Amino acid sequence: MRRLASTRLTLLGMAWLAVSAGLSYDDPAATSVWMLTSPMLFLALNLLAAIITQPGINRRPGLLVFHIGLFGICVLAAVGRLTFFEARFELGQGMPFSTEMLADVRQGPWHRGALEQVNFTQGFYTVDYAPGLTRGSTRSQVLLPQANGSVREQIVGDDKPLLLEGYRFYTSFNKGFAPVLTWTPETGEPVTGTLNMPSYPMFEYKQDSEWTPPGSKPIKFWLRLDTGYTKEQSWVLDGRKAKGVLVVNNGERRVELAPGESVDLPGGKLRYEQLSTWIGYKIFYDPTLYGLFISAITAVLGLAHHYWRKFASQPLLATPERREQALIGNRTVKA
Amino acid sequence: MMMVAEMPWLWAGLLAYAGAMAMAFRGVWRVSNGGVAVANSLSYERWVLLAIVTGVVLLAMALGVRWERLGHGPFVNLFELLMSQLFSLGLVYSIIYWRVPVLRPSAVVVMPLIWLLGSWILMLEPADSRLPPTYFNNWLWAHVSLGKIFLSFCLVAAGLAGVMLLRTVPRFAGLLKQMPDEVLDQMAWRFMMLALVFDSLMLVAGAVWAQDAWGRYWSWDALETSAFLTWLSIGAGIHARLSYKIPSRIGALAILAIFGLAFMTYFGTPYFSEAAHKGVI
Repeated sequence: MRRLASTRLTLLGMAWLAVSAGLSYDDPAATSVWMLTSPMLFLALNLLAAIITQPGINRRPGLLVFHIGLFGICVLAAVGRLTFFEARFELGQGMPFSTEMLADVRQGPWHRGALEQVNFTQGFYTVDYAPGLTRGSTRSQVLLPQANGSVREQIVGDDKPLLLEGYRFYTSFNKGFAPVLTWTPETGEPVTGTLNMPSYPMFEYKQDSEWTPPGSKPIKFWLRLDTGYTKEQSWVLDGRKAKGVLVVNNGERRVELAPGESVDLPGGKLRYEQLSTWIGYKIFYDPTLYGLFISAITAVLGLAHHYWRKFASQPLLATPERREQALIGNRTVKA
Repeated sequence: MMMVAEMPWLWAGLLAYAGAMAMAFRGVWRVSNGGVAVANSLSYERWVLLAIVTGVVLLAMALGVRWERLGHGPFVNLFELLMSQLFSLGLVYSIIYWRVPVLRPSAVVVMPLIWLLGSWILMLEPADSRLPPTYFNNWLWAHVSLGKIFLSFCLVAAGLAGVMLLRTVPRFAGLLKQMPDEVLDQMAWRFMMLALVFDSLMLVAGAVWAQDAWGRYWSWDALETSAFLTWLSIGAGIHARLSYKIPSRIGALAILAIFGLAFMTYFGTPYFSEAAHKGVI
């Protein structure tokens, strides 16, 4: 145990962690999860051994608390890397969240969550813009079904995430418009869905997309928007106030549709129901968050307490009188 | 260079810092020439303190004028970061200079280090900035304030380490001569210990802010990686010093290296990273 508490091993662990941190720079997900967790667990063992065997640590309350806090950070940070979950998704207005829409999923090998039980529906959103297209606050309405059958409304956005089942849902800067379309084939049932256009206003002049109806030729869409956007003045992006004309082109005809209008195309009828919106979210899950915070604060408080006592027993030559005494004393010695 | 309202205040503040630096050197020069009474050495220190405080007040005016003009604090571009650091380093150092008189000769190292930032900011355009939505968060204030205290303590430690090394030059051999290397070494590391406390608090506050603002508390971006390596190097330095007998001048070099790393974290990272923090968009 004493060997495990060696200060040489501590320095070795620190150097190992520094190298791992350097290798994880910019994209820790691109490296093995053990890259960072191994030195953390190694340091946790070293800390534990030192706490148990070193009187220099376990007989000094501040230092003891500091090392316990550090031990907690090492263990929890390692567990966090093994159990984390991250993903992105886009959600249209009126649509319920589903795990099928997730993209860029990254997770630790020990992740066990209840994401399937998350249930909410996207409402409207607004985004403030300052002159010069500088993005301000985002407010996104989410609708949460309650046990009694009612629906609770919540506004999230920027630094106010939606917290469900331990998962944190953050709005992203990615958002745009989505025409709601109904395709009625010549034979068969009508199908309604949304067509997510590129992010707005980032791609203001590239609001186009393509869709191929079952058994038919591809259709190109272009959305001509009127959102009240002006570059020179403050502006609020609000899908409820926006209007959009949908230009439909199947290679043979070009038709402009207002909401509620439809066009007959080879193989079926396409109806532009209404203009809707979509917004991007980022999911973050780490069960160690609060524990890490408490451990970190505990460690810092312990360290501060230790130094407070240490410095109080050995004060600096603080007062001018003592300074003068020191100078005069020095000269006297020299003389 | 673009002329904006805060520039005259900035120039005046830098001039006051330059005056403090010149007086600090003159005072040390006279003392090290020998035959100078204690009263003289203390009187030059008063003028140095006055010049630093004047610089701090003038820089506070510069920051206030810019804040009023742009409607937000100095948190975004390099010009603002340098200006606010010039203010905070001067403020913390003036308090230490006032309250711990025995450390005053360190001004011959500390003021040139502060002036490194001063000469740098003179080469930058005072470009206007806009506050990203992720910056409207109270944890940002805690993170930035704690970081400034951390860097200030690092600076004082670097100043004392610099004195230890400077004393190897004959002209400065008498600098702080009433304090042997061992005592200076102890004091310098004491400031590094304080720096470690505030660095730790800065990282905790930054992690909470990042979790709120960008949905992750740590993502190993350029600034976070560099800040973590700085924290680790301070911890390793303190740990090594407690565990082994390290010569004070080697310790001084280690402190200067750590200060260099902290300096790079603050002011170098923007040069090899698209944005200081990954989420700043």
